[in-house]
Amino acid sequence: MTRVRVTAPAAAARPVTESREAAQESDVGQVFVRSLIRSQLRLALVVAGGFLVILGAFPLLLAAVPGLAETTIAGIPFDWILLGVGIYPVIGLSAWLYTRTAARNEARYRDLAGDQ
Amino acid sequence: MNPGIAAAALAVVSVATAVIGFYGLRISRTTGDFFVASRTVRPWWNASAIGGEYLSAASFLGVAGLLLLSGTDALWFPVGYTAGYLMLLLFVAAPLRRSGAYTIPDFTEARLDSRAVRKVTSLVVVLVGWLYIVPQLHGAALTIRITTGLPSWVGSVAVVVVVCLTVVAGGMRSITFVQAFQYWLKLTALAVPILFIVFLLAGTGTPALAPPSENPTGLAPAGWYTNVSLLVALLFGTLGLPHVLVRFYTNPDGQSARRTTLIVLGLLSVFYLFPTAYGLVGRMFAPDLARSGQPDAMVLLLPRELIGGPAGDLLSALVVAGAFAAFLSTTSGLVVSLAGVISQDVLGAGVGGFRLAAVVSAVVPLGFALMTGSLALAGSVGLVFAFTASTVCPVLLLGIWWRGLTDAGAIAGMVTGGVLCGGAMIAGSLAGAASTPAWLAQPAAWSVPTAFAVMVLVSRATAGRVPKTLVRVMTRLHTPERPLATGR
Repeated sequence: MTRVRVTAPAAAARPVTESREAAQESDVGQVFVRSLIRSQLRLALVVAGGFLVILGAFPLLLAAVPGLAETTIAGIPFDWILLGVGIYPVIGLSAWLYTRTAARNEARYRDLAGDQ
Repeated sequence: MNPGIAAAALAVVSVATAVIGFYGLRISRTTGDFFVASRTVRPWWNASAIGGEYLSAASFLGVAGLLLLSGTDALWFPVGYTAGYLMLLLFVAAPLRRSGAYTIPDFTEARLDSRAVRKVTSLVVVLVGWLYIVPQLHGAALTIRITTGLPSWVGSVAVVVVVCLTVVAGGMRSITFVQAFQYWLKLTALAVPILFIVFLLAGTGTPALAPPSENPTGLAPAGWYTNVSLLVALLFGTLGLPHVLVRFYTNPDGQSARRTTLIVLGLLSVFYLFPTAYGLVGRMFAPDLARSGQPDAMVLLLPRELIGGPAGDLLSALVVAGAFAAFLSTTSGLVVSLAGVISQDVLGAGVGGFRLAAVVSAVVPLGFALMTGSLALAGSVGLVFAFTASTVCPVLLLGIWWRGLTDAGAIAGMVTGGVLCGGAMIAGSLAGAASTPAWLAQPAAWSVPTAFAVMVLVSRATAGRVPKTLVRVMTRLHTPERPLATGR
């Protein structure tokens, strides 16, 4: 069985960055690449860890404070508000922080790698 | 409900889907257009499309039904479905886009430089896709039976026919528009009726029939193990879903892939407020719907139960339209991504092969759906996430972030995870829901770590097999793609 590479017409293709990849395969280039990967992974782990701690804290808070789950705000019990509404801003904030910092890491990499 | 109104709602959604699909046909010409819309879709369009594709029968009907049954325990479902996207953003979105691959098998083959890994990944992806389509068709069957009184199979067959027509006609480009339209349709279809109901209840001062903490059925609440295992499945399962991943290739670069995911998180967060509201209102004002044995139909029945009259009928029709949008969009997204895999690996790439593969991808799960009875929708979709988390997720995460992964490790890990999780699913369905212990009913908590462990250990043992292309591939995955010469 033969496989055929599927591609769009050449006009639609973006400029291929062969020279970029060649430059980055040098020893110096790889130092920067490895450091970029490490900082992106660290960032992702920190954000994920922080989010999971907050997520875990929500049910613990409900279990630790007696009567909190049954407290109602505008007729809606507090446990529904906390888990059904309150978690989403935490997710959004984590995502926004990550996106900003990840882009910053890449900008720093670009400055370093460009100065070779 | 008046069957005529429900049928009209179905017809309108199907026709709108087909029209947008055919409109897309006029601008999709090349093979690249068919597969990934030539990567020129804007973030807002793309994000709406991802939202449209992701919000399936489980989200539209299943979450509210489960909230009605299990109360706050079921809130972990929408939280997990959304947080899964956060994990996808953190660990997968930009590198996957930068890999430049069309499908997950493309990615694993490029990363590990191995045809064998490609074959195993393709098999897993096709299995995941088929497993995921079945609950959509069950949802369609349920909706048709409840709202029109027609036999169940009509719903499943209708979804498959409409999906085949749109996908065969336009491929990914038209699918992007169809999906984006369907996100907003689903949101409207859930939001308008429940807001109407809440204002009506508040305006008339109707007293609640039961407090929301009261369990309407005699079912035992889920233990902490079930909740944790479910969260593992949802958090790690999302980033391996084939129809979600294929969407990332339609972003122009890694940064826009991240921006798109950020918008998706916002869209999902807004959407899930509404199933939650249905669950809460249902628990307080219509607890008897939980005892009718069809909690998944709660979203469809609530407007008529609480409002009645022509207004109730119209709102019900809106919900039915939204539900069908959910079945259609998720199924078509899965069919497109499966067709991409099947046509490239079996039938030969090209538009003809893609069309044939699309029909195959939709008809096989149809047969399976017609032969099996429907389970709780959110639960059966949760199991698909567990399967993805045990197979595709480890190979993606380790492939992107760990230089030590080898082809042997990837295959061993995927097979182990697939056998463990698939075995638990089969054992659970043979034993029946009532007599299945929690660790078997919700296998993710042990099957996912085992798959990771096997993948790492076998890779360590076969360290000599690390591909020679590693440096080039890792550089490509993680470095920003804009050429250095420009932008400085």
